Amino acid sequence: MARAVATPVSARARLVAAFVLAFGFAAVQTLDTLLALGAIAAVAVLAAGLSWRELARLRGAVVLACGFMVVLPMIAGETVFARIGPLTLYLEGAQAGALIAARLLAIVALTLALLSPVPVLQLVAAMRALGVPALMADLALLTLRYMDEVAAQLARARLARRLRGGRSGWRALPEHALLLATSLIRAQARSEQLWAAMRLRGYSSGLAAPAPPLLARDWGFMAGALVLALFVLWLDRL
Amino acid sequence: MHLPDGIVPVQMALAGYGGAGLLAAVALSRIKQMADPSAAIPRAAMLTTVFFAASLVAIPVPPASVHLVLAGLLGVMLGWFAVPAILVGLFLQAVLFGHGGLTTLGLNGLILGLPALLSFGIWQVGGTRWPDLAALCAGCGAVLAAVAIFAGLVLAGLPVALDPAAERAALQAFALAHIPLMLAEGVIVVAVLRVLRRAAPYLLSYG
Repeated sequence: MARAVATPVSARARLVAAFVLAFGFAAVQTLDTLLALGAIAAVAVLAAGLSWRELARLRGAVVLACGFMVVLPMIAGETVFARIGPLTLYLEGAQAGALIAARLLAIVALTLALLSPVPVLQLVAAMRALGVPALMADLALLTLRYMDEVAAQLARARLARRLRGGRSGWRALPEHALLLATSLIRAQARSEQLWAAMRLRGYSSGLAAPAPPLLARDWGFMAGALVLALFVLWLDRL
Repeated sequence: MHLPDGIVPVQMALAGYGGAGLLAAVALSRIKQMADPSAAIPRAAMLTTVFFAASLVAIPVPPASVHLVLAGLLGVMLGWFAVPAILVGLFLQAVLFGHGGLTTLGLNGLILGLPALLSFGIWQVGGTRWPDLAALCAGCGAVLAAVAIFAGLVLAGLPVALDPAAERAALQAFALAHIPLMLAEGVIVVAVLRVLRRAAPYLLSYG
């Protein structure tokens, strides 16, 4: 979960900057620009001061990037650049693998650096302020509110099933389904209580707190992100 | 089954946002036509939370373990609410866990949202007369549709052309690898809906 600290730049500005830079990075087409992507992402990660636990969220992206770099040279392209035993490696596939892997890692690292210091509730408020419908913002808030509780209930039920000597493999699927059905029935009951509580509190136009107005530093941050994205694209088209 | 950032061209990612926006707009307009849409939000949120938590847990399906997609069950139980619920879930997964991606959020919304609506349609048509068959088709069909859309987008989005033989082999391997997941989802959806039909029929909607 994100650290609950006040950040100097608003969640809305960070969200806009993350999208602008992510799309800018995704548009990179040449290998020469990858170094710049890596440098920008590394500076963003260092500046955000992410902990090892937060950096561990990059694990999935790293595995996926390695997969692209290993598989694509073997199956894509025409120009042979190496043979390792029965394997033939193609230049075009290797270039495509490097491009995809670098873009993927740079975007995920940048997203983490920009958004993980922001409390998730502020992010939802920022989404709402950026025009996301109230219904979706409320869905996000309520989902987040009950996520840990429901996950813990499911984990307890699974543990109890195992301790009672539950079956394994395919034969366990109906038991998993039973746990899921029980959770859904419990969730329905809980939602009725929740709706009663929301009505009592005068729910009318959404749960998300209004996002604070954008300050000069927020505009500066977003403009900086836009300039950086345009710089990356200019570098790429040189 | 998420498309990561950086794999598809920007134009395709932007088109994905356009498509997902359109799908969300249609879904929200259908939701607004409900008698009291606000009253349905807590239910949709609580059920989304259960689906979200359940999809994070790996279930052993020999010879490996899988994370359930649950798009079919989500569609059957949430109907039009499945689309905003999936988009919200994907955004939270991208921001909280680094799964999926920011640029591919729209495409991922289509990969899961369209199959969820397909399952909703299947259940609406056949849920009353042939509940088990409709549940099986909804569960398996959602995974099949998601795999097909995902594979199509990956192949269309790769910046380099694959050798046709390698492309065929990759597609076959990808489809075969997802057969256990498809069957597992089918079994789970049938079993869950059987329990709900007996114990909590008010949770299910019929056409």
